Amino acid sequence: MTNIIDLNIKEKVYKNKKTQLSILNNFNLKVNAGEKIAIVGESGVGKSSLLNIIGLLDIDYNGEYTLLGSQTNNLHANELAQWRNQKIGFVLQESALINSLTIEDNIKLPLLYAGSGKFFFKEEDFENVINAIAIKPILKKKPLECSGGERSRAVFARGVIMKPQIILSDEPTASLDVENRERIVNLLFKMNKEFNTTIITVTHDLEMANRHDRVIHLERSR
Amino acid sequence: MKIFKFFITKIFLRKAILSISIILLLFMANYTTFIATRSILSTFQGYQEIKCMNQEGIYIANLDPDSDVDIDAIGENGTQIVYDYLNNNFNYAFYIDGFMVSLPNIDDMEISLSYMNEEYYELNQFELSQGTDLDFDYQFDKDKEIPILIGKGLSKTYPVGSTIKIEDPVLEQPITLIVQGVLKQNAYHYNFYDLNLKKYYNFSIFLPVNAEFIKNANIDLQLNGLMDIVILQTTKEKTVDLSEVMQDNLGLKFNFFSQEENFDYFNEYYLYSLIIMSITTLILLVIITCLSIWNALVSIRLMLRDFTINLLVGLSYSKLRKIFYSYFGILFFINLIVIFSITAYNRYEYWLRKDATLATYGFFGLIGMDWFALLVVFLSDIIIGKIIVENMLRKIKKIPISLGVLQ
Repeated sequence: MTNIIDLNIKEKVYKNKKTQLSILNNFNLKVNAGEKIAIVGESGVGKSSLLNIIGLLDIDYNGEYTLLGSQTNNLHANELAQWRNQKIGFVLQESALINSLTIEDNIKLPLLYAGSGKFFFKEEDFENVINAIAIKPILKKKPLECSGGERSRAVFARGVIMKPQIILSDEPTASLDVENRERIVNLLFKMNKEFNTTIITVTHDLEMANRHDRVIHLERSR
Repeated sequence: MKIFKFFITKIFLRKAILSISIILLLFMANYTTFIATRSILSTFQGYQEIKCMNQEGIYIANLDPDSDVDIDAIGENGTQIVYDYLNNNFNYAFYIDGFMVSLPNIDDMEISLSYMNEEYYELNQFELSQGTDLDFDYQFDKDKEIPILIGKGLSKTYPVGSTIKIEDPVLEQPITLIVQGVLKQNAYHYNFYDLNLKKYYNFSIFLPVNAEFIKNANIDLQLNGLMDIVILQTTKEKTVDLSEVMQDNLGLKFNFFSQEENFDYFNEYYLYSLIIMSITTLILLVIITCLSIWNALVSIRLMLRDFTINLLVGLSYSKLRKIFYSYFGILFFINLIVIFSITAYNRYEYWLRKDATLATYGFFGLIGMDWFALLVVFLSDIIIGKIIVENMLRKIKKIPISLGVLQ
């Protein structure tokens, strides 16, 4: 199995004028390609912070991070943005859409940053994705004209449109009913099975967490 | 380009009120800068022109505001006595304009006649584009040609060497003029008492005036010529005597202000105006820039989700910076085009109205002063744009891109 994530965090500190909060102290994580990992823990332990670090959204921490064989700490902001665009997919809650864009524009947003020409090459992939998650009828609608389930599927489609090697999902089913929750989870696992995509999910839902290969419990630093 | 187009059409313009308000604020900032720069520059030009009068021994006539004026009671004998006294005792600069005549020309403009004597002409150092300087030593004879200078606009119809026949309004008889030279394009003259007001000579004729000409002219020229007459190389005591002669023969009380008095007046009045204008503009600009920054930061707050999602899927801060600079660059460019168009149209309107004293020539309709003011606007845009964009980016960077922002 290929190791694609090797993360060693000594400390992540949040500071404001009055207080200082230290989380993820001496946290180490190794993830293999194609692994499904769930991260659980009570609110405030640093689940989303961990996802921000893994997803290259946050580089302000004390530690080292090797992703897909490359040391990320020294990457330029432009390179980080490119990696977020092409190697990592974010599957978030249904609210993570731009309301002024149509569902189609929201899904195609990563293609905008993929560089010239790629838009056309990905058109077929786009068709495949929207057919797989059955959202063709809502493509021209705005997010606020869609149901929560439809929006969740749109967020999912945007996260996978670039065929990323890693999918980071943060409470993707938190506001969904059982039927839609199952749909999203199945789509995630289908990506994992078909493309050997690594899945890292932050969730409060222990039942969902237990369907992953590995469950990591985060606890408050003592 | 694709990303920039996306941001313009799908993000910025979707918040119409914010976009319109920032456009209006920036336009106000630009237009204020443009108008103020032009006014300051114009006043400064006027000040420079008048400065040539601020020399030792120069006194400028000024009708006392308390003087009783009974024009009808003034006769040609009275004015002639004053001029005889002037000719015998002083060197003086004589200038009068505003006499309009109809003269066929390509642009169909009414023509303004300006009468000046040699001293005035030398004091003002008019620049010519063609021909030679005015000759003041001609023998006045109604059958002989009078050498003249003309404005650039008239030179198309009347090149150097051509003759013009007019019914002279001050001589009240037909005279023949011969074009001796052409004034430089957009030559101008400021009003002594309002340095922001000037007349252009593009459709003017400069007639050289000597003692004999004045003697033959009607009372309009003789009397009005005394109103702003400039006495050269003289003393305060002599001007007091002159004032008495004028009072006795015309019934009008004139004051003559010295170089120091004029200089103090100009400095106190016009420099003070320039300073006030500059400070007011600067304060206005600071207020408008602050409002623009506030507006931009409100926009950021309202569009935070949109920016975060874009940063999540591949947008970088450096690309975002380029997008912001391009966006404000376009807004400023549109403003410059609008200001350019308004100014060019205003200039063109003078031609439509056949306003001979304000019609000007310029590059795309704008004269040098307008272009300079546009350059100042452009430079102020660079500063304002940098302040706004860097503040916007600082605000965005302060909020970490995180999944938390979206939940």
